[in-house]
Amino acid sequence: MEQLLDAALFSSMLRVVTPILLAALGGALCSRVGLFNVALEGFVLVGAFSGIVGNYLFGNVWIAVLFAVLCVMLFSLIFGYISINLKANVIVVGISLNFLAAGLTTFLLRAIFDVKGAYYDNNMVGLPKWDIPFIQDIPWLGSVISGQSPLVYLALILVAVLQFFLFKTISGFRMRSVGENPVAAQSIGIKVRKHQYSAVLACGVLCGLAGAQLSLGQVTMFTEGMTAGRGFIALVATMLGQASPIGVMASSMLFGFMDALGIRLQGFSMPSHFTQMLPYIVTLIAMFFFKDRSYLEDAHKAGGSSR
Amino acid sequence: MSVIKQSLRGLIQPLLAIIIGLVAGAIAILIVGGSITETYVEMWNGAFGSFYFLTNTLARATPIILAGLGIALAFRAGFFNMGAEGQMVLGGISAALTALYLPGPGWLVLIVSIVAGIVAGGLWSVLAGWLDARFGMNLLITTLLLNYIAILFAGYLVAYPFKDTTGSAAMAQSAMIDQSVWLPKLFQGMGLHAGFILAIVAALLLYVFMKKTVAGYEIRMLGNNPLFASYGGVRRGRMMMIAMLVSGGLAGLAGAGEVLGTQYRFLDGSLSSASYAWSGIMATLLASSHPLGTALAAILLAALQTGAMGVERNTEVPLEVASVIQAVLTLFVSARIGYTFWKRRKEKQSNGTTS
Repeated sequence: MEQLLDAALFSSMLRVVTPILLAALGGALCSRVGLFNVALEGFVLVGAFSGIVGNYLFGNVWIAVLFAVLCVMLFSLIFGYISINLKANVIVVGISLNFLAAGLTTFLLRAIFDVKGAYYDNNMVGLPKWDIPFIQDIPWLGSVISGQSPLVYLALILVAVLQFFLFKTISGFRMRSVGENPVAAQSIGIKVRKHQYSAVLACGVLCGLAGAQLSLGQVTMFTEGMTAGRGFIALVATMLGQASPIGVMASSMLFGFMDALGIRLQGFSMPSHFTQMLPYIVTLIAMFFFKDRSYLEDAHKAGGSSR
Repeated sequence: MSVIKQSLRGLIQPLLAIIIGLVAGAIAILIVGGSITETYVEMWNGAFGSFYFLTNTLARATPIILAGLGIALAFRAGFFNMGAEGQMVLGGISAALTALYLPGPGWLVLIVSIVAGIVAGGLWSVLAGWLDARFGMNLLITTLLLNYIAILFAGYLVAYPFKDTTGSAAMAQSAMIDQSVWLPKLFQGMGLHAGFILAIVAALLLYVFMKKTVAGYEIRMLGNNPLFASYGGVRRGRMMMIAMLVSGGLAGLAGAGEVLGTQYRFLDGSLSSASYAWSGIMATLLASSHPLGTALAAILLAALQTGAMGVERNTEVPLEVASVIQAVLTLFVSARIGYTFWKRRKEKQSNGTTS
């Protein structure tokens, strides 16, 4: 137990949880305007891929992150246009966008890098690791929190910012009203579509960051379908967190912890099949205990987009 | 008249989408610097160029049709069954293990193995249905998560307890199934096996079921207008369990057919890497859940995939072009998916629009 739950475990938990947390925050914003975004998985995949492409093209990790964000924003506009303007079923659009993300990334992987399955470059510089003064000197906590990629810290800051925005500002309040009752919101002059689009675009930004952390955070590489269901786990985190940023962070942390624990348990001669199952099983158990009827009902109106 | 209209509506959408998809494919081919006409000629040849390629395409379409039918049934009832992949893998492994370890005459073992595959897929799917109906756990998410668990579990089974130890290969796979239990091939030396006939029969049966039976009507009603359905006495929870059972059973049959008709063993990752189940979802979306349309769309997608392999063999264009075409197809159709859900939209508009 001692060697199982050491600081390194929690440090890797923070690293693993960041893509999930960022994507889940994006999902929470979409939920708040009444769009159940199933395409998180695809968004993050596009982000991970364009992060690598940006790095390859510009040779600068910061521009790469920016490039990833821009690409996913464009991608999220497709989602926004089809589900808001064309009023198609949000879930169906989300599913098809996941296909598009998978198709585009595998195709471009071949077209740009001429490789199948995975792209890996030894000379590519990934995200730096920042040491935080003062905190890094605290015995145990320092080794957990300090020395992570900047995106990890950005994610934690964004939780606070979004929490403040949604519950303490006027525009945040308006945004929530759009999801609560679009007709009523419209009737008092709130621009429903504008809020929906800005939520979708913000979701794109967040998923772009999530993807960049995934492909540039630890080892700089991209593999086909490297999101491996993290987007869906993020979706669950969104639902369990009642779409409030703090709640989303708590549920994401739980999954991240399980993910990191699973990786760690492989060193304890457990078949890797079972350790890899951990996050999914825990996600299911969490769904069982923390039910969120209102969002489930949104999803239950399968077909009736919640507008 | 309305019958013709309805069937036309089911067909017009895919045809339009195909054109859009091919245009997207042309753009993708230009990006890689290939010749559009040459690539599409090769694609056609790779899919239908000879009797061998045609049967090859139909063999690939078999699991896609079956999985797609299952998903179509669930979609029609308004349930998003995203778990076809896991249901298929469990169906495949169950069929393989039954075929390997059940004594008896070959034809009997074959039938029992197929049933085992159907049952395994159906039970896995019903588990998700039950979790939703009983505990309100979102079906779309649970089916997705159960996929990963099913694939990992099947992988464990063939990596440890049931690993093939006869060969020297270090592959995670089960032993070879005895020849007497194989699904017969339809033509000597071709890939097409009897599973294709099962798939076509299933498509026809599902079509009749949806159109002509009370249960089929209830399912359609539930999908089109849940409020009206509950007013008419349709019990949503029960319906969900039944729809999911059949849906998963069909996916399980797809897996069993692949194992008993093509691979003759369970090889870890072979069912998921070809992404039959996801193609099945695409076929369903393309045909807006019409059973016969789904079967046609499945054959179309299979043709795209086998055609792309031909493109890969004979030109500089990578086979991934197919995945772009498929994705654009699906997206285009989903953007105009008004058909299944337009009634509900109309009803929404009557109490005030928000646009």
